[in-house]
Amino acid sequence: MAKLEVHYTINGRKHEAYIEPNLTLLDVVRDDLRLTGSKEGCGTGDCGACTMIVDGKLVTACLMLAPQADGAEITTIEGVAENGTLHPVQQAFLDKGAVQCGFCIPGMILAGKVLLDQNPKPNDYEIREAIAGNLCRCTGYTKIVEAIAAAAEA
Amino acid sequence: MTTYSTVGKPITRVEGSHKVTGDSLYAADIQLPGMLHCKLLRSPHAHARIVGIDASKALALEGVERVITAADLPTFSEKRMSNRGYNLLADDEVVFNGQPVVAVLAETPSIAEEALDLIDIEYEELPAVLDALAAMEDGSPLARKPIMEIDRSEAKGHVSVDVKEERSDKPSNIASQAKFSRGDIDQGIAEADCIVENTWRSAMMHQGYIEPHSTVADFDAASGELTIWSATQGQFFVRDQISNMLRIPETKIRVIGMELGGGFGGKIFLTQTLTAVLAKIAGRPVKLIFTRKDDLQGATPSAGCVVELKTGMKKDGSITVIKAKIVYDSGAFPGASAVVGAILLGGYYRFPNLEIETYEVLTNKVSVGAIRAPGAHNVTFAIESQMDMMARELQLDPLEVRMQNAVSEGDAMPTEVKYPRIGMKECLEAVRDSDLWKSRGTKQNGNGKARGVGLAIGGWLGGLQPASAHVELNGDGTVKVLVGANDISGTNTSFAQIAAEELGLPLEMVSVATGDTKTSPFAGMSAGSKTLFTVGRAVKAAAEDARQQLFDIAAERLEANPDDMESFEGEIRVKGSPDKSIPFRRLAGITTGFGALYPPVVGKGSITARKQAPGFTAQVAEVEVDEETGQVTLLNWGIVQDAGFAINPLSVAGQMQGGATQGIGIGLWEEMVYDDEGKLINDGLLDYRMPTALDVPNIATHIVEVPSEEGPYGARGVGEPSIIPGAAAISNAVEDAIGVRVTEAPITPERILRAMGKI
Repeated sequence: MAKLEVHYTINGRKHEAYIEPNLTLLDVVRDDLRLTGSKEGCGTGDCGACTMIVDGKLVTACLMLAPQADGAEITTIEGVAENGTLHPVQQAFLDKGAVQCGFCIPGMILAGKVLLDQNPKPNDYEIREAIAGNLCRCTGYTKIVEAIAAAAEA
Repeated sequence: MTTYSTVGKPITRVEGSHKVTGDSLYAADIQLPGMLHCKLLRSPHAHARIVGIDASKALALEGVERVITAADLPTFSEKRMSNRGYNLLADDEVVFNGQPVVAVLAETPSIAEEALDLIDIEYEELPAVLDALAAMEDGSPLARKPIMEIDRSEAKGHVSVDVKEERSDKPSNIASQAKFSRGDIDQGIAEADCIVENTWRSAMMHQGYIEPHSTVADFDAASGELTIWSATQGQFFVRDQISNMLRIPETKIRVIGMELGGGFGGKIFLTQTLTAVLAKIAGRPVKLIFTRKDDLQGATPSAGCVVELKTGMKKDGSITVIKAKIVYDSGAFPGASAVVGAILLGGYYRFPNLEIETYEVLTNKVSVGAIRAPGAHNVTFAIESQMDMMARELQLDPLEVRMQNAVSEGDAMPTEVKYPRIGMKECLEAVRDSDLWKSRGTKQNGNGKARGVGLAIGGWLGGLQPASAHVELNGDGTVKVLVGANDISGTNTSFAQIAAEELGLPLEMVSVATGDTKTSPFAGMSAGSKTLFTVGRAVKAAAEDARQQLFDIAAERLEANPDDMESFEGEIRVKGSPDKSIPFRRLAGITTGFGALYPPVVGKGSITARKQAPGFTAQVAEVEVDEETGQVTLLNWGIVQDAGFAINPLSVAGQMQGGATQGIGIGLWEEMVYDDEGKLINDGLLDYRMPTALDVPNIATHIVEVPSEEGPYGARGVGEPSIIPGAAAISNAVEDAIGVRVTEAPITPERILRAMGKI
């Protein structure tokens, strides 16, 4: 398969990769660019562990072909903390005990961050709706919802 | 009551921020130079003979390195092949849809996947045995060759029971069976004022960890050393199994249990040996990451089960009899916890007359394994639903009936083993006092939907396994704790609390690390609700040992008696003379520096666990049922659980909420659906429906503390009980709401409408 070049700005830094065009954005970010914070839980867009912010929108990166995101501004979990300071959503996840195994957490935090960017004071239902595409098997969601609510207050 | 400074307090995780920044390393994040990627071609049939495999087209694809079949793999004795773990790739016969047949090794995952489509396998289909009850009958076709020897080592990590299982010499699909009897069944039936008899079915379901099975293996031919990076709950178990199977001494095996993306009993030992063998054959590192389809088709889910149950009760609420037959559908290899199911089914209440037969039956489905409390939710659905039905028929209060008959210390399990001190009644008392339980009876809420409240309890005996730990004084007076237990959800934080407590240190002065199998002291698998219960005790013993060493050194320096020393806020001091003290930093200097007079302070903790500390939970569901559609909405959920002593209440509550939510999934949605030919229909997460944030309410937790005998500070295992009663609580709430009983879990809208006679 003929390879092609893609360019992304990820977490404010420019990256390029020379890739097979049938790879997903998740494959390229994890395997070629070695940003492994985004996880693959299903490969079919059902679990949300691969969530990234692409040009301001939440995407399941396992369903986006890498060339589709060429030129995009991308935020992954590695880019949420700034200058060594955790984002309020990240801090709240720790404070509220919302992290167990941690595998869904990158996607959860990005979903929570985008929610608060758009709706700084969400209610319980709005929080649950915002993370409904992110499966968590450890926590039962209660502490995750509490964490996002606490981050909104922070 | 003893007061503690660190244990018993809600503590946020001590390991730092890596799980919220994406810096944690899971097995799939490992990349090695020259690494090959493995994909598995799985059987499309439930039962078939492999006639021939043609991989020539796949081998011709650029980037494909090797195509491996069973013929390329080491062989094991016929006896061993009765165990799933030894069936690395199917040889001659496939016995479930999804069984791996061919492994492709390629330069990239996508090339490996492409190659799978180019492999032709010719099968000759054989009769598939799909129904466990039919499979038990004389003359049923066999799901696979007769069972010779069953390896129970993995199951024993979850629960320790000492029961001799019976085995039939005649070839049969029954892998194991056991029977428990007490009293006189006929008398128990005659004495009852109410007899309820039902058949309860619960589906095969999946542990549903979000991280798929993942392993990377590297074999260094020159040194003979094997290194495995894996998603496992039990790195030492993996090491021991691989050593046995491949005859590699354990000095040459390093298993590195990576951060684990959820296990719930399902991630102990599955792909590690195959990956190791492939790496050895290829002479290059190999990475095997399951797709979600691989995981749903071909991991080790939780057994489906049928319980035929007859129970009796007198008008005064006392139970008189239980007669039951339990049949676990184990899939194609043994793996269901039939004995444990019987112990729990007849072990929650004081049945004077008891007869329980329990069977583990083989079928042509994926073979099952452990889950959070393996086998428990199935039988609890039956007994806890039926307790409510008897109470209802006799117009008794369902909670008081449970309280009246509940087991407590000294009562016998069906094995006639006596319960130690347990907290079942304390859990029920807390429910009795809760607003949610008191709100029963206010059924209508104005939207035309019926509301109902249901209660169910669950208990789990817990596993026992030895454990060890080191506690060492660092050069600056801080302390490091080293364990071999894989931390899935926060146990290392609790270990830090224990070490800080025993050494009188602030928590910040303690770090905890999990080493690998070459570097860390032994620990059993992180399973069976026993990590804190056993490894926590080892950490406590190691901290006590280190403290004694510090006392001895400090006493000599201070010219005092070691028995008069105490540890307080980072100093060892003479009791009653706070001015006579030595800080930890100074003690570190004189035990680690050049020319130091004293040896390094290294505390050792090494324990064995002999006394189980069964953990009980009581849960309350408040539901709303749409009588037109059969849709159930959860309005509220409350869980009470006996933690013995909650070393970290924040973490205990998290375990309770997570397990309860899995129990809700079992109750309402989760079911692996096989078609008439034994093919799994729902092999993705869109159709295998786990609870989302919109499906479950906030889950209220209440911890009760009835101390255990052996656990650190009285702690009990808390991981497993919470999953157990979900389906029963929902079943009871649905009947409270609409007056019909659904006897099959998950309790889907279709099943509700059927029970209502609407379809």
